[in-house]
Amino acid sequence: MADAVNQEVKFDGEEAGAGHAAPGLDLFAAGFLIVLSVVVMVASWMLPVPGELRTAPGLLPFLAGASLCGMAVLLGHSALKRRRAGIVMDPSEARNSAEDRRAAVLAATVAAYILTLQFLAFQVFFTIAGVPFVLSAFEPVTVLALSAIIHVSWRGPLWITVAVSVGWTFLLTLVFQKLFYIPLPGGF
Amino acid sequence: MFDAFVQLMAPSLLIITLAGVCLGIIWGALPGLSTTMAMGLLIGMSAGMSQDLAICFMLGVYTGSVFGGAISAVLINIPGTPDAVPTMIEGHQLAQRGEGGQALGMAIAASFVGGMVGIILLIAFIPLLLTFALNFRSWEMFWLAVIGIMVSGSMAAGSMPLKGWIAGWLGILVALVGLDAIHAVPRFTFDSWNLYDGISYIAVLIGLFGLAEIFRTLPSKNAPTIPSDVGRIVPPFKTLLRFAPSAVRSGVMGTLIGAIPGAGANVASFLAYDVGRRRAKPEEQAKWGKGSYEALVCCETANNANIGGSMLPTLALGIPGNAAAAALLAALTLKNVNVGPTIEIDQPGLIYFIYGALIIANFMMYLAAFALIAPCVKLFSLPRGILMPLIIPVCVIGAYSVKLSMFDVWVMFASGVVGWLLTVFRFPVAPIVLGVILAPLADENLRRSLMVFEDQSLSAILSNWIGTILMGFVLFVVVEGVLRGLRSMREEPAPSAAP
Repeated sequence: MADAVNQEVKFDGEEAGAGHAAPGLDLFAAGFLIVLSVVVMVASWMLPVPGELRTAPGLLPFLAGASLCGMAVLLGHSALKRRRAGIVMDPSEARNSAEDRRAAVLAATVAAYILTLQFLAFQVFFTIAGVPFVLSAFEPVTVLALSAIIHVSWRGPLWITVAVSVGWTFLLTLVFQKLFYIPLPGGF
Repeated sequence: MFDAFVQLMAPSLLIITLAGVCLGIIWGALPGLSTTMAMGLLIGMSAGMSQDLAICFMLGVYTGSVFGGAISAVLINIPGTPDAVPTMIEGHQLAQRGEGGQALGMAIAASFVGGMVGIILLIAFIPLLLTFALNFRSWEMFWLAVIGIMVSGSMAAGSMPLKGWIAGWLGILVALVGLDAIHAVPRFTFDSWNLYDGISYIAVLIGLFGLAEIFRTLPSKNAPTIPSDVGRIVPPFKTLLRFAPSAVRSGVMGTLIGAIPGAGANVASFLAYDVGRRRAKPEEQAKWGKGSYEALVCCETANNANIGGSMLPTLALGIPGNAAAAALLAALTLKNVNVGPTIEIDQPGLIYFIYGALIIANFMMYLAAFALIAPCVKLFSLPRGILMPLIIPVCVIGAYSVKLSMFDVWVMFASGVVGWLLTVFRFPVAPIVLGVILAPLADENLRRSLMVFEDQSLSAILSNWIGTILMGFVLFVVVEGVLRGLRSMREEPAPSAAP
C-alpha cells in the first residue's frame, strides 16, 4: 500500500523527485563527483600530520573522499547500464528548460541583491517621535530587489508590487531591529 | 518538572511559544514550505532571543509546522510537508464530500494526541536512554553519527538510496572545512580567514531549504485551486475515541521511528498509514484511500508523535532524529546549549524545561490550529509570485544574523544554488544537513577512538558490543539500500514504454 501511495502521489517540496535522473544527468553527476572526491583525497593527503597517522586531520576527509569516489563510480555504472538499456525518463518528470532558465535569472537577481547589500553598505541614524531608527542599505535595496522579483514573477499592478515590497521590508526592519535587536545586512 | 512549568508560565515565554506555533502552522500550511525550512529560516529570528525564549520559540515552530502540512493537504490537495501526503489522500477525499471541516478537526485532534503520546514516551524513555548513553564512548558516537547520515540518505532518496548517501557525504565534506578540532590544522581553507571558522551550517541549512525551494517553485507556473468554503471545523473527539487504539498504536510507531537517527516524520506517517490499513476492520478498510477518518488519525498521530521521538536521540545523544531536529539542534547550539549524554550535568533542569515547553506548544497548537485555518485559506489565495519572493530577505537576514557576516550570506546563496542543482539532478537535500551537523562529531570521535584502540586487536575492538551492533546496523542499512536500488533499476520502464 505504501508503495502504491508513493507511486500515485507526488510531494511538491524539497524531497520531491529524489531518485533516478535521466542517465545522461546521472553520468554527468558521477563524473563531477569522481573529480571532486579525487581532489578531496589529494588535498587530505597533503595536509600536515602533527601527531600520529591515526589522529591525522586528513583522515576522515580522505576516507570520506574515497567512499564518495566509490559511490560516484557506482552511480556512473548504474547510469551507463540504464543508458545502454535505452531507459529514458518519463516525460512528466523531464526538466522544463523555460523554468530552469527563469530559475537561473532569479538566482542571478538574488546574487545582485546580495552584492549590492555588501558594497552599498551605509547607515543613517534618525529618530521618529523620540524612537531611534537606523536606515541602512537593507531597506532601499530590499524594496528595489523585491519589487523587481515580484513584478517579474507576478505581473500584477505595479503599485501593489511596490506596496507589498515596502510593507514587508518595513515589517522585517521593525521585527529584527526593534523586537530582536538584530542588526540588518547593508549596514556596518 | 513543576519548577519548569512555573517558569514556563511567564507571559513572555507563553507569547513566544504561541508566536512560534502560529508561524509554524502558517509555514507548514503553505505548499512546499517544509518544517525544516521553517526551522532553518526562523533560527535567525531566535538568534536575538534569550536561551529560554529561543527554545520555546523553536519548539513552537517545530510543533506547529508538522501539523500545518495537514491544512493544505486536506483543503487544496497539496501536502504542505512530505509527511502530510497520506493525510492528503484521505483528507482531500473527505473535503470533496463537504467534510473538510470535520477532516481538519480530526487532523487537529489526532495531531494533539500524537504530540502528547510522543512527549509522554520521551519523558518515560529519556532517563533510560541517558543512562544507557553514558556507556557510549568515542567509537559508539562515531558509528551513531554514521548511522544518522546513512539512514537519512536511505530514507530520503526513495528508490535510489545511493543518491541519499552521496548527499550525506557532501554534507560531511562541507563540515570538514575549517580548523580541525584536535590539532587546529586548517583544512580546505584556501588561506581565507572566513573559512578558518568553518562553514556556518545555519547558512547552509537556510540556503538548502529556503533559497533552493524558491529557485525551484517560483519559476514554476503551476498553481493550486483554492477552496471557497471550508465548512465548520469540529473537533470530533467522539469519533477520535472510536479510533483510540489506532491513535495510540500510530503514536507509539511515530515516536519509535522518530527515535531512529535520520528517520523523519514522513517515514512514520507512511508506515502508520500502511499498518493502520492492515489492522483496520474490514468495513473501515474499504474506506481506505477514499476518505477514511481512521486513516487520517493514523498518519496525523504518527507524524506529530515523531516530534517527541526525534527529541530522544537529539537530547540524549546529540544526534538529531531528522533534518528538522538537526535545525533545532543548530538553534540550541547557537544558544550554547550542549545536548548529549551529559545534558543533565551540564544544564541541570533544562531537560524538564524542554518537556514543559513541548507540552505547552502542543496545547497551543491545538488552540491556534482552529483559529488559523481561515487565515491560512486566505494565504493560499495569495499568488505564489508575491508570497515566495518575500522569503528571500528572510533568508538573507537569517544567514547574516548568526555572525553578522556577509560571507555567511554568500554561503547561504551558494547553498541555495547547490540545493537547486541537486534537485535538478534528483538528489535529496535533507541528508546534507545531517552530514553537515554530524561530521564534526564523527571526525573527532573516529580519531579519538583510533587512539584508544592503539594496540588493540580487531577482536578486542569488536568486543565493544554496542559499537559492533551499531556497525552491524550500518551494514544492514547499506545492504538494504543496495537491494532496494537494484530492485528499482529492474522495475524501471523498458524503452518501448517510452514515447
